[in-house]
Amino acid sequence: MKNYPLWKSTLVILVVLAGVIFSLPSIIYKEDSGNWYLDNKINLGLDLQGGSYLLLEVQFDVLIQEELENISDSIRLISRNLQTKINNITSSEDEIQFRFNDSKNIDKIRKQFINTYSNVKVIINNNIMKVVINDYFKKNIQESAIKQSLEIVRKRIDESGTKEPLIQRSGKKRILLQLPGVKEPERIKQLLGTTAKLTFHMVDEEDISSLRANIAPFGKIIVEDYYNSEIKYLIEKKSRVGGENLVDAKASFDPQQGHAVSFRFDTTGAQKFGKATSDNVGKRFAVILDGAVITAPVINSAITGGSGIITGNFTSQEATDLAVLLRAGALPAPLQIIEERSVGPGLGADSIYSGKIAAIIGMLCVCIFMILVYGVFGILANISLIANLFIIMSLLGAIGATLTLPGIAGIVLTIGMAVDANVLVFERIKEELFKKTRVLEAVNNGFQKAISTILDANITTLIAALLLFVFGSGPIKGFAITLSLGILASMFTAIMFTNFLIYLWISISNKRTINL
Amino acid sequence: MFGINKIIPVESNYSFMDYRKIFIIFSFILILCSILLLFFKGLNLGIDFKGGTLIEVNTKNSDIGELRSILSPEFNDVSLQEFGNSETIIIRLQNESNKESIETVNQVKILINDKVSEFRRSEFVGPTISSELLWKGLQAITFSLLAILLYIWIRFEWQFGFGAVVALTHDVIFTLGVLSLFNIDFSLSSIAAVLTIAGYSINDSVVIFDRIRENLRKYKRLELSDLFNLSINNTLSRTVMTSLTTLIALFSLFIFGGEVIKPFAFAMIIGVIIGTYSSIFIAVPTLLIFKFRPQEDE
Repeated sequence: MKNYPLWKSTLVILVVLAGVIFSLPSIIYKEDSGNWYLDNKINLGLDLQGGSYLLLEVQFDVLIQEELENISDSIRLISRNLQTKINNITSSEDEIQFRFNDSKNIDKIRKQFINTYSNVKVIINNNIMKVVINDYFKKNIQESAIKQSLEIVRKRIDESGTKEPLIQRSGKKRILLQLPGVKEPERIKQLLGTTAKLTFHMVDEEDISSLRANIAPFGKIIVEDYYNSEIKYLIEKKSRVGGENLVDAKASFDPQQGHAVSFRFDTTGAQKFGKATSDNVGKRFAVILDGAVITAPVINSAITGGSGIITGNFTSQEATDLAVLLRAGALPAPLQIIEERSVGPGLGADSIYSGKIAAIIGMLCVCIFMILVYGVFGILANISLIANLFIIMSLLGAIGATLTLPGIAGIVLTIGMAVDANVLVFERIKEELFKKTRVLEAVNNGFQKAISTILDANITTLIAALLLFVFGSGPIKGFAITLSLGILASMFTAIMFTNFLIYLWISISNKRTINL
Repeated sequence: MFGINKIIPVESNYSFMDYRKIFIIFSFILILCSILLLFFKGLNLGIDFKGGTLIEVNTKNSDIGELRSILSPEFNDVSLQEFGNSETIIIRLQNESNKESIETVNQVKILINDKVSEFRRSEFVGPTISSELLWKGLQAITFSLLAILLYIWIRFEWQFGFGAVVALTHDVIFTLGVLSLFNIDFSLSSIAAVLTIAGYSINDSVVIFDRIRENLRKYKRLELSDLFNLSINNTLSRTVMTSLTTLIALFSLFIFGGEVIKPFAFAMIIGVIIGTYSSIFIAVPTLLIFKFRPQEDE
């Protein structure tokens, strides 16, 4: 090894050694051990280990509609007190418009209204008043809604017993979930698809004509039964107490009523509930879940203890899930699942298996081919290729990247393309040898001349891979990562490691001529 | 060494440039057919870009016909397909709105539960996401092509950039045409394949261009078409070798890598073959229209 700089050989050996050492955990060990070295292994993506990926979107428009509804109620109340008639109300995405009978009291209404609502813009034109929710307020509503949703989703997932979930905010209105090992995404989806807004309202049983006509008078609404949409109730719009005052909920079993959910209120809730029940003995109250009546029992006596039981036609699973939902709290707005990708453990294991087979067979064929074409130099290139794979694996482990199925494809592709840099060098050396240059000089010139080509050729592929990483989503990012690492590693192994191996071989075999 | 290295030309001397007209016409026909296919038949967009539901199941004591007869009456737009073997079946549904997703997957699962031994995967992509994915995919392709072009333009003279991009566009259109012809599901991984093909195609052209640039400095008197011939021949063994090793790896992936990755491997195989062809027969001849000698001859 004369003429070969010591720093170079040290560097090369160290890098390759590090590659081998840090890829061993990924190859050998399966379970988490708590040891920093052994846990330095490659994470498998959901498509390989099985699990569910869900993307949820917070339905903000529901919140805005609710806000418009509140505004409408408020203005109707004010104008009623001022004895001004509203001819019609029209609302759109984020504004609501009232057409009054006359413009006499309109300024008064405006003043009173603005006293209670500060986050809106009120525009008056003759007898028309337009209320627009301003952007700042809208953003505030959305921001707090997504934060709250994130919290509640986290609680619900924790309650469902999922191990190592990843729950992340994604952009302005989305929540991303990765649930490894979940076999039944249906149940999770059901849990997340329910807003679980629980409220207690008094039922109006006297005003039968409104119920028949299906027109609710002011301050009341008509709701359907949870199980039978034919049955309708006329209830007070304002709830007496709501799910936010619950401190606990449990699934329970009542021999007469079947599966049920027992709950307990906090002090405020207990007081409110106590007052509502003592004022209305003999009347009905309705338990409303997400806008439908679960049950509407008659109040036999005041309930002051602050705890109660909800019975419905629950199955055991439904009762358990409702208890989970009530404990975790209601979502501020409904969540919609806009993307789902679930992979069962069987397919994941199959993918790993076939990926391994494809990589091993591809590797063997490429190695044999290289030996057939380049002889001893082919063997050197193959050693380089193996070192390359070790380096890729150790880097994947070290940067905590996730290996996906497309990622495996990237590795197999790298096996085929990684020898390219070696081939470029060998072909150059061959040309140099043709000119009857001395062996060492031919090797030197070959490397020198090939380097710029290697760089140019690889950087273009690297550009494509990097942009794929930026714009790609999910598993495709995994492909971009392995391809990029593969290209970088192959440049290093071809330019440095193969070079080192060739010098080593020439100095050991002491050859004057080489057969390429 | 074992005689096989005689297959890989060492000092070849083919006059590629003499036949360039034939190949250009050939390519022109290929591209025209591809464009017609893409225009009239279009790509078979998968659920990534079209939205919808996909469920993969393993059946027990049942077959595709039985599952179809169960599901067809229940859903408007349902299609079933065997996936690799007769036991594994892919069910595709087109949903009209996001809301239907949970129910659709549930309904399907309940309907066929006793015919199925394993639900291997289920995917749902809503319309907002599918259009976002499509948009992002197009962005990725556009920006990569621009970035690659920019790089070539900086490193070489602009004429080379032009030649490389002509070859690359040729490869991408042809590959898309083949995907359309064989009705292959166009998914996120197809975008990955298209970009990798773009990278590979450029890679191949760059190696030849590099040699052309070197030879332009070395042989100042040589006729351009002869110089191009020489450069292609100089690099021919490398071009062939690298394509072969890449193809070996890709065929291994295609045959052994499993059903999910097959469309990707297929697209890549087509892309590598056409990319190798185009760097020799399209990229280099394109340079001839410029009749250039670079100004900076040392």
